[in-house]
Amino acid sequence: MKNIFELIKKDFTRFVNDKTAVLLTFLVPAVLIIIFGNIFGGGGSSRGKANVIFVNKSNSEIAKIIEEKLDSSSSIRLVKKYRIEETDSIAEFTEEKAIEYIKAGKHPAAVVFPSDFLSDTSIAMNIKFYYDPRNEIESAIIQGGIQQTIFTQLPQIFPALLTRQANEFLGDEDGEGFRNEMADIVSSYFGVPKDSILNFTSSQISSGLSSEETSDSSSGSFIENLIKFDSVQLVGANLKNPQVTRIVGGWAIMFLLFTLTAIATSLFEEKQEGTLKRLLCMPVTRTEILLSKYYFSMALGIIQLMVLFVFSWAIFDVDIFSNFLNLIVVIVISASAAVSFGMIITAHATSISQANGVATLLILIMSAVGGSWFPTFLFPDWLQVVAKFTLTYWSVEAFQQIMWRQAELSAIYLNLIILIAISVIFNSYAVYRFNKGNIF
Amino acid sequence: MLKITNLSKSFNEIIALDNVSLEINSGEFFGLLGPNGAGKTTLMNHIIGFLKSDSGEILLNNNAIKYGDKNIRYKIGYVPQEIALYQELSAYKNLKIFGSLFNLSKKELNKNIDKTLELVQLTDRKSSAVKEFSGGMKRRLNLAISILHNPEILLCDEPTVGVDPQSRNAIFEMLQELNQQGITIIYTTHYMEEAERLCNRLAIIDGGQIIASGSLMDLLNKLDSKETLKIHKTPESIELYEKLTKISTINEFDFKYELIPNKDFQKYSQLYKYFEEIGLPSDLIEISRASLEDVFLHLTGRRIRD
Repeated sequence: MKNIFELIKKDFTRFVNDKTAVLLTFLVPAVLIIIFGNIFGGGGSSRGKANVIFVNKSNSEIAKIIEEKLDSSSSIRLVKKYRIEETDSIAEFTEEKAIEYIKAGKHPAAVVFPSDFLSDTSIAMNIKFYYDPRNEIESAIIQGGIQQTIFTQLPQIFPALLTRQANEFLGDEDGEGFRNEMADIVSSYFGVPKDSILNFTSSQISSGLSSEETSDSSSGSFIENLIKFDSVQLVGANLKNPQVTRIVGGWAIMFLLFTLTAIATSLFEEKQEGTLKRLLCMPVTRTEILLSKYYFSMALGIIQLMVLFVFSWAIFDVDIFSNFLNLIVVIVISASAAVSFGMIITAHATSISQANGVATLLILIMSAVGGSWFPTFLFPDWLQVVAKFTLTYWSVEAFQQIMWRQAELSAIYLNLIILIAISVIFNSYAVYRFNKGNIF
Repeated sequence: MLKITNLSKSFNEIIALDNVSLEINSGEFFGLLGPNGAGKTTLMNHIIGFLKSDSGEILLNNNAIKYGDKNIRYKIGYVPQEIALYQELSAYKNLKIFGSLFNLSKKELNKNIDKTLELVQLTDRKSSAVKEFSGGMKRRLNLAISILHNPEILLCDEPTVGVDPQSRNAIFEMLQELNQQGITIIYTTHYMEEAERLCNRLAIIDGGQIIASGSLMDLLNKLDSKETLKIHKTPESIELYEKLTKISTINEFDFKYELIPNKDFQKYSQLYKYFEEIGLPSDLIEISRASLEDVFLHLTGRRIRD
């Protein structure tokens, strides 16, 4: 028994001395639990609000009330104005501008209350919903949020809508008779004055009316027609496999980071094997060694991404050819940024085990926070800000724009500039450290 | 050919080289002898331009060797202490990879690869992965890579560490052949026997300082006697230790006592008479020719592998 105890003690001692093992055993899962917890609403932080463009073309009082209620929604943030860059002024969104913004990927959806939102004879509220389903959950949350607000915050509008439904089915005359009879029955059974019942429904109807609104009765099921969502998908409607198209970029960049970091940290292996010193004792400069590693990693990264995209095309019919040249540009720049990440890890680590431990930790965190695993809109606001400090975020967003939206490079210039800046800064610093002999 | 003047190098508080000055002539087989941590590898690293000195200079054919100087490496070959090879690749591919960094034409490189493979006797195994090689074969390949570009000087940093006697002899023969072809060889080791066997001239380094240099005879002449008297450690000799100290100063090692006789006992006849009187068995007594080990002991008071 003593021997077993001593052997256990030995394993614990070795484990504690292996900083990488400790890091991967405790810190990585702890950090991921924090991230997941925040995403799914734990930890006391609420999920971030989805930005939705809002255009109200109706003069209806009810439309204004719903707008106020949506303004105070916990899941939606209404965006009503935009900046005109040419004049540096602010303007109200129009329906056309909203469509333009969604197509450009600046916002995921727009809600438009049309001029016939609730007319004299409407039996339903008409709502136009334009969306970019690059993430279906996001679209569902936005639609659900709007419906929930209307149903829970404004129950008083339903008697009016129900009365209109009755009139629609029975005709105006019979409907009025029906309403009178119903008011008599309710009055006799519940002791409520008949006038108050009739006035209630009438006042609600009149408050929702505007003289210039036109009639537009609808058919369909009774309940469905209370709120009519006219949904229009503006982006990605023609894609054959939208689900895979959305996720392929995120997963590809995560595995790219793992591959390229392993190559960069292989400098430590070369140091251990003595081959690095042998190279340094040949007519080769330190910069040349580092750059050769960089270019090799770049080439391998580009090939890896190409293989992954071609694979997704071959197996899942993901469209990679419609915007192929732009896709190549994003692949090259993403690979460059991923290599520089590996270089900066190598430049700061003191051993291969430390480099691997830190790299694994950072890659998993960046993948989780940067949008490789989940859409970033699911995060709390503070985590959405943190996401923008990861190279994964800028790369995943760029892939989404290129493949989902078939965007031009001008639409993702900021992503590309940030990724290039990461490459230049990280690599310059790594070369500086390497040349100073601080690393090896 | 190679002139080192007042070279010093420290790593934080540790002085690795302390005012080292040496001259090595063209065509010499020069030995740098010293214990582990004496500064041999640090000196090698300066000669190849891998380290930057704190002070002093190294001239090769009157041209200063500077830190990171690429050009110097066309003239110098370096055999590292480690087996610095890509283990998963074949011997031929290793030679090709390292050889291609020397701006040789394809034809010249292939010719040199064939020539060196033949020299290190690995021609028939050139396609095998290095990881399948024995320790001796790896050491030979390690050497072969360093001479692919026909260097003027070959720096060998303890190239026989961990090698069996047969392979060690093979490496010695290869190095001697290269030296005969005109290549200057600078050979570091802490094996006295290797230095004695191979080198025309030697320097003994300890604590970053050159404590002696010259030919083997020059160094042996630093000793009072060309012979040493040793007594094997056994229960009988251990019991007689006190009596032995009355006639000599004793350096004690793991398995032997080394005796440095007092003035009154300089003749073997006097010594043997005393040993007989105290009852020391004659088969425990060993008289041998003095070696570099004795020179090192004489100069530092320590054995080289202490």
